[in-house]
Amino acid sequence: MRAPRPILAAASVAVIFISLPVVGLLQRTPWSSLDELLSRESVIQPLLLSLLVSVIAALVVVVIGTPLAWTMARVDLPGRRIVRALVLLPMVLPPVVGGTALLFALGRRGLIGQWLDRWFGLTLPFTTLGAVVAAVFVALPFYVIAVEGALESGSDELEQMAGTLGAEPMRVLHRITLPRLLPAMGAGVALAWARALGEFGATITFAGNLPGRTQTLPLATFLALESDTEEALALSLVMLIVSLAVLIPMRDRWLPGRRPDQ
Amino acid sequence: MRGLLVAALLASTVACSGSDIDDLTVFAASSLTDVLPDLAAEYENQTGTTITTVFGGSNHLAAQLRDGAPADAFLTADARLLEQVATRERLVRFAANRLVVAVPTGNPAGVSSLADLARSDLRVVVCAETVPCGAATSEMNTTIDADSHEISVRAVLSRLSLGEADVGIVYATDVASEPGAQPAWPQPEACPCVTYTAGARTYWALPFLAFLASPAAQEILVRHGFATGELD
Repeated sequence: MRAPRPILAAASVAVIFISLPVVGLLQRTPWSSLDELLSRESVIQPLLLSLLVSVIAALVVVVIGTPLAWTMARVDLPGRRIVRALVLLPMVLPPVVGGTALLFALGRRGLIGQWLDRWFGLTLPFTTLGAVVAAVFVALPFYVIAVEGALESGSDELEQMAGTLGAEPMRVLHRITLPRLLPAMGAGVALAWARALGEFGATITFAGNLPGRTQTLPLATFLALESDTEEALALSLVMLIVSLAVLIPMRDRWLPGRRPDQ
Repeated sequence: MRGLLVAALLASTVACSGSDIDDLTVFAASSLTDVLPDLAAEYENQTGTTITTVFGGSNHLAAQLRDGAPADAFLTADARLLEQVATRERLVRFAANRLVVAVPTGNPAGVSSLADLARSDLRVVVCAETVPCGAATSEMNTTIDADSHEISVRAVLSRLSLGEADVGIVYATDVASEPGAQPAWPQPEACPCVTYTAGARTYWALPFLAFLASPAAQEILVRHGFATGELD
């Protein structure tokens, strides 16, 4: 289909708007000293930590997010709207507020946190686990809306049919619902992982900032911006490459745009 | 209609530019969070000029200024930063501050000496070295097993008042202003000390610099626990 000119023009503006900062970053990147910058411990350490934290967070998101999305889409919950609003809240809440809220709930003197500390000697702030918790908090909604959306738009005829033919609910879930859901789950997990990788505000507020333990790539970049611009640019480039490396291949296979059954 | 929109946009740009004789924009180190509003109120009393304050880690503020953020004056504990941002005139050492080892009120972990800062079983929080309080902390030459390097002294203070950290290093004035934190033990006038420098970036900020050196302003600073610096 040929696009009308005004639409093409507006779309081009959007593309330029999005790519301009990337171009800005690339033209300031110190390419000649990049080798040395990228081999620094202060670059490699946050990169590895960020990968660790974001991958664990993405796994947790799948494990708890899939049942949540299914429940929201398929079960007639009382107050379903409120549940949905609550689940989506971290998407619109400033991450710093989310981090502070996490402190009041899971911090050492927090609602639940004080008992974790007293009974298990477990305190989340200032630990890698705390960084994972912050990442899960902000990333979960991205996964849940992707999966819930797919569940809502797809019909449940097949599931009903399997049910009337005598299949147990868990078997229906396993043999029919989940396989049809895989593309949406892939898309959701890509978005959630990317959000977890870029997480800054909730992490620094809740988990703190210590190299090797809680200092993820975004935190390291923020601090480097204040002391070593070249290193900050190298760190930014690493984030850019890692994110694109995951999002570009995802596009065709997973991201919404083609129906799962096509 | 379109013309109106453009005019409105232009007007808002001008309003934000900070170069306005009736309203000064002052960027200030976060350790001045409590005292600056009092100073601003007194300045407004005397001159009728209102002051809009922006607080943050000094390095972060300096980076914003380098990137063109509009501010008439910049108050920081790191005089070197003022060399990176254009200033018309400077007021060196208009106040001084010192570091203290601080704990949540009641000292629940029983911190009693500098040696406790090296204990791995305590949650120790300090400023990142990129901000002045962190630079001063590293000048203490004490072994510190830190659990977090916070991006401003106020962030360290909030870790203490929320009880997330057992011990931290902040400015004496921060402890004085925060009921949730106290010095770990009586710490007499000890250094390393930091001194604050004010830089005027616009013509309009020059009277404000003069005001900072005045007896009225110095009295407010002392009331907040600052030492009056040796003014140059």
